[in-house]
Amino acid sequence: MNTYDGDRRVVITGLGAISCLGTGVAAHWDGLLAGGGEPAEVPLPHLNMRTTKMYLVDRADVPAQPASHAGVELGSSPRLAVAAAEQALADAGVEEAARAAVPVVLGVELGNADMQEIQRSAGRTAWTTLTPAAAVVGAEIGSRAASTSVGNACSASGYALTIALDMIRAGEATTVLVGGAEGITRAGIGAFNRLGAADPVRCRPFDRNRAGTMFGDGSAMLVLEAAGHARRRGAEPYAELAGAAWSCDAYHPTAPDPSGDQIVRAMTEALADAGLSSSEVGCVIPHGTGTPLNDVVESQALHRVFGGRTRALPLFSLKAMIGHTTGAAGAFACLTATLMLRHRTSPANTPIEQDPECDVWVPQERPVRLEAPAVLVNTYAFGGNNTSLVVRDVAGAVSDMAGGGEGAARVGTGVAGEDAEGARGDHR
Amino acid sequence: MRTGATVRTAVTGVGWAVAGPDFDPVTALAVRGMRHKDRASRFAVRAARRALEDAGLLDAPELDGAAVVVSSNFGNLDPVCDTVTTLAAGGSTDIGPMRVPQLSSAVSAAWVALDHGIRGPNLTLCNGASGGLDAVAAARNLIAAGRATAALVIGVEPDSPAVARLHRETAGSRWIDGAVGLVIEPVRQAVRRGARIRAEIAGYGRAHDERSAVRAAGATAVPRLGAEANARFGRCSGALGVVQCALAVERLDDPDVPEGEAVLAVAGAGTGESDGTSVAALVLRLSRGRHT
Repeated sequence: MNTYDGDRRVVITGLGAISCLGTGVAAHWDGLLAGGGEPAEVPLPHLNMRTTKMYLVDRADVPAQPASHAGVELGSSPRLAVAAAEQALADAGVEEAARAAVPVVLGVELGNADMQEIQRSAGRTAWTTLTPAAAVVGAEIGSRAASTSVGNACSASGYALTIALDMIRAGEATTVLVGGAEGITRAGIGAFNRLGAADPVRCRPFDRNRAGTMFGDGSAMLVLEAAGHARRRGAEPYAELAGAAWSCDAYHPTAPDPSGDQIVRAMTEALADAGLSSSEVGCVIPHGTGTPLNDVVESQALHRVFGGRTRALPLFSLKAMIGHTTGAAGAFACLTATLMLRHRTSPANTPIEQDPECDVWVPQERPVRLEAPAVLVNTYAFGGNNTSLVVRDVAGAVSDMAGGGEGAARVGTGVAGEDAEGARGDHR
Repeated sequence: MRTGATVRTAVTGVGWAVAGPDFDPVTALAVRGMRHKDRASRFAVRAARRALEDAGLLDAPELDGAAVVVSSNFGNLDPVCDTVTTLAAGGSTDIGPMRVPQLSSAVSAAWVALDHGIRGPNLTLCNGASGGLDAVAAARNLIAAGRATAALVIGVEPDSPAVARLHRETAGSRWIDGAVGLVIEPVRQAVRRGARIRAEIAGYGRAHDERSAVRAAGATAVPRLGAEANARFGRCSGALGVVQCALAVERLDDPDVPEGEAVLAVAGAGTGESDGTSVAALVLRLSRGRHT
């Protein structure tokens, strides 16, 4: 139970990541600054479809353990989840003894499908649990609290983050491990191929030639903590998860509502939940998948939320660098937003030939300095499931943002350990 | 949105979509609008409509800001297996385009929202056997956090070839084929609109083991619902907790039940239908005359 009544704000005290950019948060940030990853051929047989590429974790980086849980052989997704979870907990300094009380909330859409497909290819057809990742992570970290698997497709970890936020606000827990993990599955890639929504070249949101999305695998994890609890144990927060909101289009099972009314509502309510105005947002990590309609509708919705400021508001198009990590996309975006606030900069975007129908600013030439204390994150999904989240600089650091600090061009070039120390020092 | 978790919530509607005297799946699932839906979604939309009717909320303005929370572990199993087979035998062009949305575990919740214009949170839980109780608690939490004006909770598991095979391979002999829906809303709102309060949600806990979960729900002394759900329907999986709550409401509906009577539902590890993950415990209490 959360017995720290004073400060119910929710802060981010630990991060963990594995993606095509490498293992660890420093590799993630440096990879973004270096321009992101490149698509690779999916190493599976029977890919009877046009687009067969993904933004893949280097197979040598996929942990071999845990190989099984409760009799279920585990594919890459739960193993990536465990590795990212260990990183995040170590980063937050959550001791072994404290882990029993930490609930686990994960967004996992494609689950253990790659293992099932491997077994099926080998002629073994016995069914096993599809989404064991949250239970596996809970067991591996020594949690005896509840584990939750959120199945809201591409916004699953955005939903997971909101659930974790509400758990801490309601006093159900002081610390929650939250995130997402995805492996590879033919069914997912095949489905997007069938919808004509799988770009054969790369993931290129807001590009005039975009032809759908391209998936990525990996895992991103965050430790959320009641601010008072973090303070009491001397943990230095990276940032605050200040607000979140959900909405549903109730329009179509796969396509977004072209009016964008409900994604506008999610953004507006998330800002209200955070107690911030739109002028306090320094950058947006859009859902931006590369599917033609999504990017246009989202661009128009951003204009409705940010008005005349939209063309001067930097977007960071994360999926162009790590692909669409589906159930993990919201966690990767929040983790990236946190790092952007820590470094006070938004990395330069992957070069695109911008679609004039997407009238937004996707700065590509150089990193852009964050001029306001918050980053807005959007995640949307099949079924019109929308989430917006607001990550903001921890109070006290806000005034620092106006002057001084390191130049954008230098950010992230230091040794990871030093970099982390320095950035955390900023918040003291 | 930061209102405390002190808002009292109650069940005001129950809707069954399981084969029985007043529900024939053969005809009920073949009506207009069902053609492109998977079996789980068909059951879910029927249960949703019945629950909303029962609560007197069909087409009500309260629904715009309401939530849909679905618990299902196998809802999309058949479409996924089917698609993998199609890909192996042919290619992605052989997948039926209307089969694609059915691959998403969240599709049933999306159809329910579409059917009634419900634009609040739309959540799908695949939490194993505790999922149904977790869904009821999630609905309560969404209302308490100010994120939803009311919530429609659906527990659904379809009997499809892939699901049947799964159960047989794991020594199952009987399993549910259907859905049950509950309408959850703030007690204050239910009183204001003159709705019949069937039961109040009086406690919830979830933990690694049963004793801790029951203690967390504040229910160590509350009489427990027996194995009625499994006795009536066989394995209920993700629908289990919602079925248990619907049965508890039926029990509390008996006019001889005294005010304040409570029922405890427990689902998950170590219980009758165990899957080795966490355990949830939820208390429903009769509170006919204590609403103001």
